[in-house]
Amino acid sequence: MVLLVLVPPQLANCLRNPCLEVIPDRAFTCMGLNISGVPAEVPNTTRNLDLSFSNLKSLGSNYFSSVPELHHLDLTRCQLHTIEDNSFKDLHKLSTLILTANSLQYLGPAAFDGLTLLKKLVLVETNITSLADLPIGHLHSLQELNLGHNNIASLKLPEYFTNLTSLRYLSFFSNKITHISKGDLDVLREGNRLNLTLVLSLNDIKYIEPGSFEKIHLGELVLRSSFENFNVMHSSLQGLTGLQVNRLIVGEFNNNQRLVNFQSGLLSGLCQVRMQEFVLICFRDFEDDTDTLFNCIGNVSSIRLVDLQLEEVSEVPMFSQVKQLECKKCKFKEVPAVKLSLFKELRVLRITKSKYLNSFREKFHTLSNLEVVDLSENRLSFTGCCSLQFPKCPNLKHLNLSFNSDISVTGDFATVKNLLYLDFQHTKLFGPGSYPVFLSLQKLIYLDISYTRTHVKAQCAFCGLNSLQVLKMAGNSFETNKLVDSFKNLSHLHTLDISNCKLVQVDQSTFGALTELKELNISNNKLLLFDPGVYKPLRALTALDFSNNQLSVLLDSALEILPDSLVLLDISQNLFDCSCIHVNFLKWVKEQQELLQHEELMICHMPTYVKNVSLLNFDLSSCQLNASMVASSVIVVLAAVVFLFLVYKYYFQLYYSLVLLSGCKHSAERGNTYDAFVIHSSKDQEWVMKELVEPLEGGTPPFHLCLYYRDFIPGVPIITNIIQEGFLSSRNVIAVISTDFLESKWCSFEFDIAQSWQLVEGKAGIIMIVLEEVNKVLLRQRLGLSRYLRRNTYLEWKNKEISRHIFWRQLTGVLLEGKRWNHEEVKLM
Amino acid sequence: MKTSNVLILISVLLFINVSTEWPTHTVCKEDNLEIYYKSCDPQQDFAFSIDRCSDVATHTFNIRAALVLRHSIKELYVKTDLIINGKTVLTYSETLCEPGHSKLIFCGKQKGEHLYYEGPVTLGIQEIPQGDYTVSAKLTNEDGVTVACADFTVKNYLEYY
Repeated sequence: MVLLVLVPPQLANCLRNPCLEVIPDRAFTCMGLNISGVPAEVPNTTRNLDLSFSNLKSLGSNYFSSVPELHHLDLTRCQLHTIEDNSFKDLHKLSTLILTANSLQYLGPAAFDGLTLLKKLVLVETNITSLADLPIGHLHSLQELNLGHNNIASLKLPEYFTNLTSLRYLSFFSNKITHISKGDLDVLREGNRLNLTLVLSLNDIKYIEPGSFEKIHLGELVLRSSFENFNVMHSSLQGLTGLQVNRLIVGEFNNNQRLVNFQSGLLSGLCQVRMQEFVLICFRDFEDDTDTLFNCIGNVSSIRLVDLQLEEVSEVPMFSQVKQLECKKCKFKEVPAVKLSLFKELRVLRITKSKYLNSFREKFHTLSNLEVVDLSENRLSFTGCCSLQFPKCPNLKHLNLSFNSDISVTGDFATVKNLLYLDFQHTKLFGPGSYPVFLSLQKLIYLDISYTRTHVKAQCAFCGLNSLQVLKMAGNSFETNKLVDSFKNLSHLHTLDISNCKLVQVDQSTFGALTELKELNISNNKLLLFDPGVYKPLRALTALDFSNNQLSVLLDSALEILPDSLVLLDISQNLFDCSCIHVNFLKWVKEQQELLQHEELMICHMPTYVKNVSLLNFDLSSCQLNASMVASSVIVVLAAVVFLFLVYKYYFQLYYSLVLLSGCKHSAERGNTYDAFVIHSSKDQEWVMKELVEPLEGGTPPFHLCLYYRDFIPGVPIITNIIQEGFLSSRNVIAVISTDFLESKWCSFEFDIAQSWQLVEGKAGIIMIVLEEVNKVLLRQRLGLSRYLRRNTYLEWKNKEISRHIFWRQLTGVLLEGKRWNHEEVKLM
Repeated sequence: MKTSNVLILISVLLFINVSTEWPTHTVCKEDNLEIYYKSCDPQQDFAFSIDRCSDVATHTFNIRAALVLRHSIKELYVKTDLIINGKTVLTYSETLCEPGHSKLIFCGKQKGEHLYYEGPVTLGIQEIPQGDYTVSAKLTNEDGVTVACADFTVKNYLEYY
């Protein structure tokens, strides 16, 4: 029906793969390499050699002579069938030899010779059928001998076991032992063997002859799944009479439960066994007949009941001596306080991991020695904690109610006011935070209310806890998510955990009293700031966890108040701002690698161009480069501003030079239409008309003057007209200097152009006519003009007949120079 | 020259041999139910069977599994993923062996020992789902090393009552 296909490990690596060097020159692993001997590359200094899953087949004498320094040799599944004499002869220092899963057919009588220091020998799955032939009698140092999964049928320990005086652990796990007879263990009776652990689990023991264990003193005896049924177990346990053992483990395995029911008197044989600890493990079906459970173990000082389907505590014998009782994974529905109170000597009580345990209505009565109560990892839900449940337990020091459902704490701790440790973590609490419930716990040192959905509203939530050294309250919350002065009386506090409390703000006075605080965990909150004023009182701080908040930077003032005693600082997973203005902080991070924890999680959040860059990898030099870039750009901007300002100020001149240049291009194209271009103020127009235009244009020869009001083309910019019509088309320029001329902007512009024109073209002469009424003072102010007049000759207009005649002659003479006459004009002459 | 050619040929053949996957084994092949598995541990294959295939419709069924341990299992953890159309829709993990409390027989076995488990398996869910899907199971030890690994291909069209 069932087809089992066992495929051996693929042994395809026939090509010589080198062994793995785990520790240089010391440890080598050649696992699964299908080698057939000690590889040549393994040096003689090797201490650890793993040759498991190879193909050694047989070991001959001095097989390991090339590695004499070996301490640890693993020959698991090497397909060994033969180990000849003196195979390990050279391994004087070997302390561990593993021969698991080799079906040995021949083991020489001197096979293990030379292993004088061997401490651990593993012979699991090696086809051993009898202890008598095993050549290990000379291994005086042997401490651990594992003979599990073999075919040993008899527990008769041969005489040579008297030599193995160091033996501490002897395992016959899963063998074929059926009977244990008187005399089998005689060798253990001799000498001083106080701590031997004997494992007889998974044998099919049918009978233990009474007296077999008489006067034998063991450290531990393990009998799990060793009996076929109740009757066999009952009678076999009777055979343990006279045994003295530190710890006796009886029971089964979860996946190998052969006994159907716990029946009355099952453990009656243990009445004759002296033991300190009794462990009953993995028993099913305890529904009935359990009242004899404690009958013969009432005098044991420690009892552990593990993974039992025990629903009720059995009857407790009078004058029980049990000091420690543990029920792990039992099936209680109610804390059996009344019955447990009968264990008058009880000092430690643990009921844990019982998923049906939800009720706690009974009271523990008069357990004056009770010091430790651990009720963690159940489903407890009850009210009125904690005086109500422990009315007469004055010595209770340690109470653990963590990982339960919900508990209402009333504040009544009157009967248990000697409590030192109180643990409520991960149990929903009603009471703490709303009003001062811990007032009477003046001696309490340790309080854990992490993840208890406590909402701290009252200012005096922790009043009374004057000795408290450790307060753990992660995963709770505070009123308005703000920490005010909840901790003002906790002046002896060493450790405070307020991580994961949704905090957004911490008030200045919060830590004022915590001068002895050494460890502070305020991680996983929403704090934006590390305010120096808040943390300054913490002068004794050695560890501070500020990770996973929304801190952007530690300012210089914050760095200054960090106490010298600080050894560990975690500010990872914050939203760091790596802008260059925080270059001081970034530098500090690089310098404090020893102090800072989880540096790899310190990552830039801002600005975007360095987002997700680790603070450690942040390039500080980029900040310096940035500074020069900022400087140069400032300079460029300044230059641009200056340039624009200059353009604005000298706009006129610039435009004029532009016009000048554009004018140059066209100068050649135009002829001399006019004899002279008259520059004058519009206020002098009358004079120009009467004294200049009429005589010159009407006289002989007739001259052709360019006048702005007459000859300028409409619809064209004035400047263009001045240039095109005025300068380019005229041979000469006549400037009529008057007071109005000096005041006119246009006139001075035209005059400036005329001057430049003269310079650039070198042709048109400027004929200056100074009218007599010109204010000389004003003329002197116009520096360029007055200088020009000083260096050049000019005509002066005087309203006298004689001077007018000279004026006309001079002017006509100048204008006539270079004039080309056309025919009409010649005729007219 | 010839011998070197032969060596190259042999090494190529061996290389191909190494890179092949483990074969797919059949656990159940019935009208409405087919279960196959394949080892995903590159080091070794293992043996697995279900006593009565129709029992998979119930909460608990008996299996047999055997393998040779390549690592000790002082601690043993199992993690199973239910994968439908290439997407993991359910993950279940459990501690099988923990130090100080070896509730199962094989807990504490050492490297090289033969592990044979014969007994009930209780599913974390009420019953195995219907349809075509893959269940990927991985056993790891105290060092986080893979002890065994398997992908089960299931085609389940059983009628549930």
